[in-house]
Amino acid sequence: MNYTFHWYQAFRALPEMLVGALVTIEVAVLSMVIGIAAGILLALGRNSKNKLLYGVSTAWVEGARNTPALFQIYMAYFGLGSLGIFVDSFPALLIGISFNNAGYLAETFRGGLRAVPPTQMRAARSLGMSAPKAFRLVVLPQLFRTVFHPLMNQMVWAILMTSLGVVVGVNIDLTGVTQELNVRTFRTFEYFAMAAVIYYVITKLVTLSARAAASRLFRY
Amino acid sequence: MMDGSDFGLQELLLMLKGAGVTLSITFWAVLGGTLMGLVFGLVRSVAPWWINWPLGGLLDVFRSVPLLIQLVLVNSFKSIIGLNASAFVVSCVVLAFYTSSYCSEIVRAGVQAVPQTTRRAARSLGLTYWQDLREIVFPIALRVSLPSWTGLTLGVMKDSALVLWIGVIELLRTSQVIITRIQEPLLVLSVCGLIYFVISYPISRLGTRLEARWRDLD
Amino acid sequence: MIGRLGLFSAMLISMAVVTPAQADKLDDIIASGKLRCAVVLDFPPMGSRDEKNTPIGYDVDTCNDLAAALGVKPEYVETPFPDRIPALTSGRADVGVASTSDTLKRAQTIGFSIPYFAFKMVVLTKKGIGIDSYASLKGRKTGSVSGTFEAIALEKDVKKWNDPKGSFRAYQTQADVFLALAQGQIEATVVTSTVAAATVKGGKFKDLQVGKDAPYDIDYVGLIALRQDYGFLNYLNLFVHLQTRTGRAQELYQKWIGGTMPDLTVKGVYR
Repeated sequence: MNYTFHWYQAFRALPEMLVGALVTIEVAVLSMVIGIAAGILLALGRNSKNKLLYGVSTAWVEGARNTPALFQIYMAYFGLGSLGIFVDSFPALLIGISFNNAGYLAETFRGGLRAVPPTQMRAARSLGMSAPKAFRLVVLPQLFRTVFHPLMNQMVWAILMTSLGVVVGVNIDLTGVTQELNVRTFRTFEYFAMAAVIYYVITKLVTLSARAAASRLFRY
Repeated sequence: MMDGSDFGLQELLLMLKGAGVTLSITFWAVLGGTLMGLVFGLVRSVAPWWINWPLGGLLDVFRSVPLLIQLVLVNSFKSIIGLNASAFVVSCVVLAFYTSSYCSEIVRAGVQAVPQTTRRAARSLGLTYWQDLREIVFPIALRVSLPSWTGLTLGVMKDSALVLWIGVIELLRTSQVIITRIQEPLLVLSVCGLIYFVISYPISRLGTRLEARWRDLD
Repeated sequence: MIGRLGLFSAMLISMAVVTPAQADKLDDIIASGKLRCAVVLDFPPMGSRDEKNTPIGYDVDTCNDLAAALGVKPEYVETPFPDRIPALTSGRADVGVASTSDTLKRAQTIGFSIPYFAFKMVVLTKKGIGIDSYASLKGRKTGSVSGTFEAIALEKDVKKWNDPKGSFRAYQTQADVFLALAQGQIEATVVTSTVAAATVKGGKFKDLQVGKDAPYDIDYVGLIALRQDYGFLNYLNLFVHLQTRTGRAQELYQKWIGGTMPDLTVKGVYR
């Protein structure tokens, strides 16, 4: 083995990598917010009778679920560019991940909506609640409980997907920063090993705090 | 350059060759991953906590670190220890472990979906432990797991695009090569997306239909 | 008798295990019958693909010459710029014939041969956005390939100018830089005069325009191999020397670029 590890040099870059980790979390959270909003709309679109709404929603959902996330990000960056829509690397990553999130979450929400028995809605209405109120107070909490676990999974995937940004030139998230360090010094193993540990810690924190939140929220 | 596209039969064949590499990596990864996942999943559903927790923790690492990072790490590590494996082999190995991690959860869920009462009834009828597993647990667990396993296989096929980062010329990378030469990103990427879609969608629909059919049968 | 037989076999086995621990890279290549060259194929005229998608270019021909000299078949390992050195260190390639600038930072990881080519850098931009000289890059959106000689220099200058409207973005391949330039995500880049000329001539990108020279030192590039393969590096040095001495280098230069090959020597220093 003729490789000497330069761990000391690698540890000096830790602050820089942690800043990158913050950007990673930001992108993931933002993409989830957009993804949830779009996902709900898509779920409703797929349940609607309107041919156009159904067509567009289905195209989005099936496109997002049957092509690689990396392809979607690449398409957002270079594909849109040739249509004259100039998208920078960071927005392209965000668009790509959000597009992907929305597609998968739409199916999650659809399944969740199906899981709440229609009798609940009818009972609430018969008690005198208006439709939006019934939806908000009766259906939504039950829906939330059903989709919580898949939502948490999608959040973890969103965090892992941000690493793909480096392929379209994002150099401010954790993987982007790691690659920059790698390209200058070629200490690939040391930097990427550190990045792996940081990603593990982030995902574990997300999973554990989600589980803690779930045990508080869904106590009954 | 407005007299028609440079994208011809040759480019399409090149992309199909890339798709072949994608499918090949998917095949080996799913094969290895499913076999390992079966073993890990069975072990995890019957083992005591002092085996279960460490094994579970280790498998969890594969799901908590981005695949891109895993590929780079393993690729870099194998050259550090002087192992002479091609990037293709590294891709298959990393994806296989990744698959096995998800597959072990699927197997575990499948085994646990078989009601304990059924299994005890089988044993009380005189079946041995292994007969119970083979004749009773296996068919039920298989039916429960098949839709998830199909989803996992398709997921691996899509994730295989990442191996372009360590130098494997699969479908997406082939598309990049063609774009570099003929500079028609939208067209080439659309064809690329179409190929992925055509591979993935039919299987995904089949999985959904099986799942719906079996759900209605219960 | 058994004792002596045992001792003898132990000796034989230990010889077999201990002796060829460090086979020379040169021997390995000749024994394997193929030379795997890392080449960059989005960098004409040094490396690109023709209509049949086969690799062509100055670097590709140099790789062919090297393989012929060794009596083996050439095999091209396509690497984007940031992947040349990783391809070597991970064992995917035996040598890098990939226009690799000989910097001391890189020399900590891999070994360089003597220069086999020299580049001068120019500004490449789009028509009509008012960029011409290097100084006019201040306050503009620029970009280049991550980790290359010109990228490091450009990024340093962008940081030095510290203009709020200026930016530098690193891309993972040369092709991505050209695409970004053509689509307007960056306004200018700094590349070698050879690839600038080839790209504008190729006509695939509309409205590209070559600007003035960039004030960088001449970019000498060498062949690269693993740092500890001294035997192989010595061979590569002789190979490069003979390419020039036999006139082959000038022949290739005329074929791919035209004109006289730039001088590869540096005045006043021995080696």
